[in-house]
Amino acid sequence: MFKFFFKKENKVEELIYNYLENFQLIYENFEEAVFSCIKKPHCKEFNFLKEQTDKYESKADDIIDEINNLMYGKVLIPDSREDIMKLLHGLDKIPGYLEIVLFMIKYQKLVIPEKFFKDIQDLIKISLEACETLSKQVVGFIKKETGTRAFMNTIDKHESHCDYIEKRLIQKIFTSNIDPFVKLQLKELIICMGDISDQADRVSKMVNILSMKRRV
Amino acid sequence: MYSLLGGIFLGWSLGANDASNIFGTAVSSRMIKFWTAALLASIFVILGALISGQAGIETLKGLTSFNVSQAVISSIAAALTVSAMTFLGLPVSTSQAVVGAIIGISIINSQLNVAGLGKVLICWFTTPVGGALITMVLYRLLAFVYNHLKIGLFGSDQLLKICLVISGSYGAYALGANNVANVTAVFVGAGTLSIFGAALIGGLSIAFGILTFSRPVMETIGKKLVALDPFSALMVSIAVGVTIHIYTLIGVPVSSSQAVVGSVLGIGIIKGASTVSIHTLKNILLAWFLTPVVACLLSIIITFGSYLEYTGGF
Repeated sequence: MFKFFFKKENKVEELIYNYLENFQLIYENFEEAVFSCIKKPHCKEFNFLKEQTDKYESKADDIIDEINNLMYGKVLIPDSREDIMKLLHGLDKIPGYLEIVLFMIKYQKLVIPEKFFKDIQDLIKISLEACETLSKQVVGFIKKETGTRAFMNTIDKHESHCDYIEKRLIQKIFTSNIDPFVKLQLKELIICMGDISDQADRVSKMVNILSMKRRV
Repeated sequence: MYSLLGGIFLGWSLGANDASNIFGTAVSSRMIKFWTAALLASIFVILGALISGQAGIETLKGLTSFNVSQAVISSIAAALTVSAMTFLGLPVSTSQAVVGAIIGISIINSQLNVAGLGKVLICWFTTPVGGALITMVLYRLLAFVYNHLKIGLFGSDQLLKICLVISGSYGAYALGANNVANVTAVFVGAGTLSIFGAALIGGLSIAFGILTFSRPVMETIGKKLVALDPFSALMVSIAVGVTIHIYTLIGVPVSSSQAVVGSVLGIGIIKGASTVSIHTLKNILLAWFLTPVVACLLSIIITFGSYLEYTGGF
């Protein structure tokens, strides 16, 4: 009934959903890119998927900029404005980590040894599952649905699992007999991959707090 | 006509100060634009004064009967008291200043209406208490409803904004209805104005104060008071409107500032947090005592001063 008076607010809501759709495209492309690189290092497919990921990441930045502009135009009440900005700022760090991982693989010409395939695949899969759950949690928060805490618990489990794999992988890398320089490169890559689920967990906890804060 | 200037000045200062009690939290936290708030407050203050201002005017008029010069003196004494208290940084009530000034002149005239005065004093005491109680009841009831609404973050945001506009407009209506008596009731008693004329001129002068000088007060009120979350701010806004409206129906002009402080205290009690400092409370109690006393003394001094005549040189 009052939609007419809240055009800017409706635009922001639409942009947030666009951002989340785009976020999904980023991590889907990222997953394909990393798996193609594992199967066949430096293949054309990897380069294409990396470019796609960069393109969607850049689109995400554009959406965030548009939301920022609308927010500074005093859309929403200050409390909600602050909550949404905090949330998007936290969420937007994840595509950054995904981009860094692909950047490292491409420009450091990393070739992942076969004995680490399984663990790296698991690490990426679980991290991206955390991202997918986070996306659902954010939608639930915006729609004021129940289940925010359950999503947070799922993401927390994923994050703990990723931490475990990350530590195991680093241990395996340093007990293996590969070149010490490659060992350091791989360690850096694994840590960066681990940052994905860490950030998802941080944002998820923030969403839970924001959701509790909004209850009166 | 010139004799009304004192009342118009008082109305202007009331509008400039008290509109902040109605829309202050919404404007200072940028939930509503200043001009939207000022225009709505002005329109509804005039409507409130014209439609429901009669009872308060009758009560204040009934406290005593003045001639025109006494009406002017009481207005000036009240306006000076309000200015002095504002200068001292004390939370001032225009209603208390006006009644204090009326009491001063009534003492000189030896015709104080003690029964009417008793009713006014009781209402002064019960304004903040009523504000706190109404806020607590409203908060509990509406929080339950709000938490169970099936609307998203954006929907609830829009709902809060709409409710703030409606409750602010209602508060402005109640303010106009209640406080117009402070501005021009003495002129009705003095026979200068009809009740309708008093309501119209009083309402217009309050609206003029809101439109010309309420911005700085509105923009700082939220910072002076504790920072409230949007839902609590809405509860305070509704409770202030309801509290003032109840006293309008009783026919006693009360202080919107005291209603706001009572409401904020009510929020503090509900949330188990200290929303108003002891220092603020001390200032409020001091102002409760000082405002009517100072206005009373000033009106007596000005009345005696007006009897003095220049008798030439030595």
